[in-house]
Amino acid sequence: MSANPLKVEARGDRLALDAGRTPVASSEPGLPQRSLALRASGWLLVALVVASWVFVVSEPSAHVGDLISRETLDHGRDFLQQLAGVGEARPAYRDPGQWRQAARLAYRTLAMSVLAIGFATIGTLLTVMAGARPVLDEGRPWPRTLLFGLTRAAWIFSRAVPELVWALLIIFVFSPGILAGALALGLHNFGVLGRLCAEVVENLDRRPIRAVRSAGAGRGQTLLYAVLPSALPAFLTFVLYRWEVVIRTTIVVGFVSAAGLGREFRLALSFFHYSDVTLLVLVYVLLVFAVDATSVGLRRLAR
Amino acid sequence: MFELVDATKRYGPLVALAPLSLTITAGERLALMGPSGSGKTTLLHLLAGVIQPDEGRVAIAGRSTETLRPGRDLARLVGVMAQGFDLVPSLAVVHNVLAGRLGEWGIGRSLLSLVFPRELPLAQAALNRVGVGTKLYERTARLSGGEQQRVALARLLVQQPRAILADEPVSSVDPARAEDLLTLLVEVAAEDGRTLIASMHAVPLALRYFSRVIALRHGHLVFDRATTAVTEADLTALYDLRQEEARDVR
Amino acid sequence: MTSAKASPAPLGGGPPAGHVPIRGRGLLTLLLLGALTWSLTTVPWGEPLVHPGGLTVLGEMLVAALHPTVSAEFLGIALAASWRTVAYATAGVSLAILLAFPAGVLASGVLVRHPVLRALTSGASRALLGVLRAIHELVWALLFVAAIGLSPFAAVLALALPYAGILGRILAEILEDVPPGPLAALRAAGAREWQVLLYGRLPQAFPNMVSYALYRYECGIRSATIMSFVGLGGLGYQIQISLDDLRFREVWTFVYCLVVLVVLVDLWSGVIRRRLLA
Repeated sequence: MSANPLKVEARGDRLALDAGRTPVASSEPGLPQRSLALRASGWLLVALVVASWVFVVSEPSAHVGDLISRETLDHGRDFLQQLAGVGEARPAYRDPGQWRQAARLAYRTLAMSVLAIGFATIGTLLTVMAGARPVLDEGRPWPRTLLFGLTRAAWIFSRAVPELVWALLIIFVFSPGILAGALALGLHNFGVLGRLCAEVVENLDRRPIRAVRSAGAGRGQTLLYAVLPSALPAFLTFVLYRWEVVIRTTIVVGFVSAAGLGREFRLALSFFHYSDVTLLVLVYVLLVFAVDATSVGLRRLAR
Repeated sequence: MFELVDATKRYGPLVALAPLSLTITAGERLALMGPSGSGKTTLLHLLAGVIQPDEGRVAIAGRSTETLRPGRDLARLVGVMAQGFDLVPSLAVVHNVLAGRLGEWGIGRSLLSLVFPRELPLAQAALNRVGVGTKLYERTARLSGGEQQRVALARLLVQQPRAILADEPVSSVDPARAEDLLTLLVEVAAEDGRTLIASMHAVPLALRYFSRVIALRHGHLVFDRATTAVTEADLTALYDLRQEEARDVR
Repeated sequence: MTSAKASPAPLGGGPPAGHVPIRGRGLLTLLLLGALTWSLTTVPWGEPLVHPGGLTVLGEMLVAALHPTVSAEFLGIALAASWRTVAYATAGVSLAILLAFPAGVLASGVLVRHPVLRALTSGASRALLGVLRAIHELVWALLFVAAIGLSPFAAVLALALPYAGILGRILAEILEDVPPGPLAALRAAGAREWQVLLYGRLPQAFPNMVSYALYRYECGIRSATIMSFVGLGGLGYQIQISLDDLRFREVWTFVYCLVVLVVLVDLWSGVIRRRLLA
């Protein structure tokens, strides 16, 4: 991992990778043949894709014909008409009362996303130094190594489990609601942010850090005066980027944790209130766009 | 102030510094010279107590660097100025300057100072002394290279070490500013009788501003004498490597 | 941080005592802390937040985490579920790449010379990609199940659409960022824009694109897991079934399978990425 993460400006999803990205000019035509690992990986990928499609198509419930059959087309048309509220005296999306209700749900959904990213950020800040390879080349006693391993394992674990599965587990302990949803979202994003921020710390310019150390600062002071000030702007970019992802996910966590737009969405689908579904998706997309815009604005403020 | 006895440093098979013994008395102004890769930086790091010799010993003010762990004791003895990369770009100037006080501060005071800067008059005076008094709350990244060097010097003023070690202090500054900065560096060092040791690339500047020159090549001492005694022949001997190389290429 | 662009301090005189102007990042810090505080106030702290007996369940869960079910028969089930999840993810992401390709090329606007025409095609593709990725894959899944019924195609399509939205946008960005030197050379050699795309932009964009797609593949595995929520099989489905019966030890076996899958894909893509970008 070489490129300086600070150099990378906010570019949404691409961020996650940019920390380890080298400038584009890397593929020179006519360069030596790809390594064995690459060719093997290529064939493995092809094999995986073929096997997966064969598996999907051959499942008993999969009828390729159904996808474009008369029946499906009719069904799809009906579905679209119901979404548009055709035949309803007053479809949900033309009812101001319904909009107000949806706005209240959006407000709670927003709160859930902020709380979730807040939990994830606090967790990350508390663990990032333990989980990052040391920035000062000083001795590392074994408890430090143990802590490093434990933190890394915790990150991998919480990152590998999707938000929704965390939510399923959490509602066995916590009452359904904003807090349960935020905890589930926070747990997953804790792992994601931890890894991203540790990479930031590991890629920091060591020279100012050593200089502060040689000016007589202790470990804690070095952290305060050199490591954190250098790393925080990049942390912030990642936090905001994850917030954009979280707001997209709050709706599905809402299915389980019974909070915000997600619950209503699920209810409306279960009761076949399809024009409500349209309204909720509209509000949800608006909320997502609003959060994206806010995040861009906040990043500009940070500069 | 500094004493080296047969100090040696190797990186794998590469001898960065062959056994070297020398004494540097308090208040000297010493320039380290030599082509790149000659061992100047290694010697500077040994003197700063940042690295330890593989053989022999290095002592600062009578204490072996092995017993001087990074922290307050070392910071009181030597202050280091690297090639202009020793400031934290995202911090305000005032905090970068006050970082020189961290050795004296506890963690609580350090934390508080990031919000409400402590000992402001001290930082202000140091910045005034180096001529960037108006930049107190500027973000360091916004300063020019020369200004950043001055801020780094202000940190050393606040840190109050007995010796200042500077690694190519003017290499990233344009020639006109380089003289100003060196004058300042020499003055600041002289005021409290501090020892000043700098690795220098520009020969004329080294000869003009320093009282003693130590020249290294391939990790070996080439000469060590007072600036006034350095001859043209010495310099040719030090740098003729380049001519050899040039001949090889031809 | 408290640092900010500031008014000049008086020269040599007493500095403004403890006064640090708050602007830029200082303001941002306050805003973020304020937002967190606000979100905390929306939690109904007065009501019981933990189930009666919730802590006991938590204890059981944690104990079960140390003793996942590992009988051979059960591991077979877990393996089959893992494969199903991988298959959905692979099919979904591969379809997403197929969809993202034309949309991404159009969105980058590199094929069209005419400025108005370019603004139109690129704007329209960007908007389409934006809507595709704004909607979460599970919402897509619900919509597809409602439209075409409980078929694995619902899962594959639900994965493919939002992933196409993300991959398309990234492809557009990468295509735009390609170093212009070789492109100019191709044009000078008489190549038309589509030839420049084929011979200049795409080869240069390839390593970054593969690298990003692999990262998305890892996310795809997680997304395929939660397709169970609309009734489609895989690891998530098994987790739900075991949870319904409170068989926590089985739940953990499936969760560990998922962790292993994600870690494997992560390691593998790390290897490919390093070799491609080195």
